Amino acid sequence: MTKKALFVIVVGLLFIIGLLPVIAMFVKSVLVNGHFSLTPYHGLLSSARQWTLMGHSLLLATLVTLLTGVVGVPLGVLLERTDLPWRKFFTALFVIPLLIPPYIIAVSWFDLLGQDGLLTSLLGPVVTGFTAQYLFGLAGCVLVLFSIFLPIPMVLTIIFLRTINPRLEEAGRLVAGWRKVLGSITIPLILPGVLLAVMLVFLFSFGEFSVPNFLRYSVFPVESFLQFSAFYNFEAATAAAVPLALVALMLLLFEAMFLRERTYQLSAAAGLAHRAVINLGGWRKVCFALVAGTGFILVIMPIVILIIQSAGLAAYAEALHRAGDSLMRSLKYAVIGATLLTVLGFFTGYLIQTKALRIWRIVDSMTVFLFALPGTVVGIGLISLWNTSWTNFIYATPLIILLGYLAKYTVLTSRISINQLAQIPPALEEAAQVVGAGWLRRMLLITLPLARRGLLAGWLVGYIFALRDTGITMLVYPAGYETLPVRIFTLMANGSPQLIAALCIIMILATLLPAGIWWIIPGLKDSVVSK
Amino acid sequence: MKIIELNSVSKSYDGVSVLKQVSLAIDQGTRLVILGPSGCGKTTILRLIAGFIGPDTGRISLAEQLVAQDGQVLQPPEQRKLGMVFQDLALWPHLSVRGNIEFGLKANGIPKPARAQRIHQVLELVGLVDFANRQPTELSGGQQQRVALARALVLEPQVLLMDEALSNLDLDLNVRLRKEIISLQEKLGFTLLYVTHDREEAFAIATEVVVMQAGQIVQSGSVKAIMQYFNNLLEAKIIPGASLSSVSRPHKTHKPTNPLTH
Repeated sequence: MTKKALFVIVVGLLFIIGLLPVIAMFVKSVLVNGHFSLTPYHGLLSSARQWTLMGHSLLLATLVTLLTGVVGVPLGVLLERTDLPWRKFFTALFVIPLLIPPYIIAVSWFDLLGQDGLLTSLLGPVVTGFTAQYLFGLAGCVLVLFSIFLPIPMVLTIIFLRTINPRLEEAGRLVAGWRKVLGSITIPLILPGVLLAVMLVFLFSFGEFSVPNFLRYSVFPVESFLQFSAFYNFEAATAAAVPLALVALMLLLFEAMFLRERTYQLSAAAGLAHRAVINLGGWRKVCFALVAGTGFILVIMPIVILIIQSAGLAAYAEALHRAGDSLMRSLKYAVIGATLLTVLGFFTGYLIQTKALRIWRIVDSMTVFLFALPGTVVGIGLISLWNTSWTNFIYATPLIILLGYLAKYTVLTSRISINQLAQIPPALEEAAQVVGAGWLRRMLLITLPLARRGLLAGWLVGYIFALRDTGITMLVYPAGYETLPVRIFTLMANGSPQLIAALCIIMILATLLPAGIWWIIPGLKDSVVSK
Repeated sequence: MKIIELNSVSKSYDGVSVLKQVSLAIDQGTRLVILGPSGCGKTTILRLIAGFIGPDTGRISLAEQLVAQDGQVLQPPEQRKLGMVFQDLALWPHLSVRGNIEFGLKANGIPKPARAQRIHQVLELVGLVDFANRQPTELSGGQQQRVALARALVLEPQVLLMDEALSNLDLDLNVRLRKEIISLQEKLGFTLLYVTHDREEAFAIATEVVVMQAGQIVQSGSVKAIMQYFNNLLEAKIIPGASLSSVSRPHKTHKPTNPLTH
């Protein structure tokens, strides 16, 4: 097989797995009983309720974006640039909520602030009546989504700070203090990264449905989900999904036009080991207390509450009895999904990095677009395409779940591969070429072994995101093939708080144990975070 | 007056010693070049003097004021009144030529009319008056070099540090800029501390030369003395290389002051 043929197959797969379902969804949204019709859109646009839902979605996404940006960027600077104690620990700590299904944090806050929550047993129902009122609504959604998406601006700030040439800041330090240098040099240099981060937070908050659904705040993605799962109105569900896709597309066009090329010379950051650290001086203790307090409230406390709520082996025994099969299924799908994501992501990354086909930029944009789409939109797209009698072998089997993972998360593994491949000097492959090795031999014997850390890191990221996925799986899982996040979500309606808490803890452990490998294996983090 | 003094300064990174008990004293108005191979510790000396890092042991004084001692940075970089030109120039890509030069003036609270005047003067000095509104990326290598020089000189520093600042340029431009730097130094009277691995460049710029190897000063003295030192090594077949007797001397020869102690 020639190199070009392989990459044409890769692009074909990405198109069929990712883009074709979205196109099918759009086509189905304008077909009623086989005829072109805009009736679903007419119904959507003329309904005051839909506009209210859209307003709610935009308000929620805007508030979460502002809050995460305002807190996440300074937090990233503190964790990357200063002499704050326990920086690595805090970085890992704040990332945890992003790695687990979003509604788990909501469940935890419910266990604390809800009518029958822990706070009631401590302070009585008067206080919790007040707190529960705010938990169920916009304020609760903002709090939960803030803690989940805070790592995005924080981590991207850290990554972009690492890509700044230290000399640019030192040149400023010769004539100005750190405050001026951060404000006039450092932050403007990482601004494209910050804008990218807040754009991602906006998209994810806008498309998130499990948290608003649990906390009973009516937003647009919930509508799409309900139209499909509760009312079985596929036309309405599809029409409701299209505006979500359009918002994602508009923001990504903005990113492609204004941000993608604005990286200045950020990629060449030699001498990072000797980079000057900001001495916080008297502020060190204050900053430590603030960061530790935030970490405790947003991460440690929710997990501790779940542990307290699930106290006793009985809850865990029941959890394993009622959802043990879902757990095993989740692990199996996550392992298979991560492996497929690693393979497809590597070839996609290789294609983009080496510009093997002229459409490499389109391929890159396509994977980014699919990642930015809300999970419910990807799910409805997959159903639109594969729900036919001819393709039942996909639609009625776990294959549809795996296709969902590949559609949405390939960008993660391809970006990690691109990063890893960029660190391999082209001369290494060229040296093999001059002694007569064909491209496949070069890739298998030279490039792949050198990129092994990136492949492992990509596999772990793929595993975590496949395991935590709720949006796609909730819509596409065939009967009898539900995953653990789906099982927890459905049990939340009638399961005991102890059972739900135990399941959430099991889910957290299943996610975080492999994530721990990430921090243990030397150099694995760098294969992802260095640009 | 000794404008820079290093007393038994040592520095190590991750347990690897890069400077070992280095002592150095530089007179005001000198053009001193530190010459040595990559990794010998010459850039570390510049970074210690600039205040980006502190010495593990030893003392550093600027204009007879103690600025760093035994692991402590007593005076931050912005208070040391130094200019610096980095090897990769480190021009801020998001600021124009004017913005790059104006940054330090703003940070030091210079009023707007005075800033405009100073920017014009320094751009005139480096021959870039017409390029004030350009972005650094729109300039040639030589022009970027001049912007970096203008940025370093606009606050009229007592000392200008240059870290292999001409090493990325082609030979013709390198030679031309050497002459311009010497001319600027003689006109403005600042002390120049220049770091390079290139012997020819060192002898062309310097009035005094310090030779470093493996974190230590192995020789120091006037240009003539150091040329002789290398020729002796060559004759003894200790180092390979061409005779240095044909290397052109700078325009003005300073009276040897023997400013170096170690």
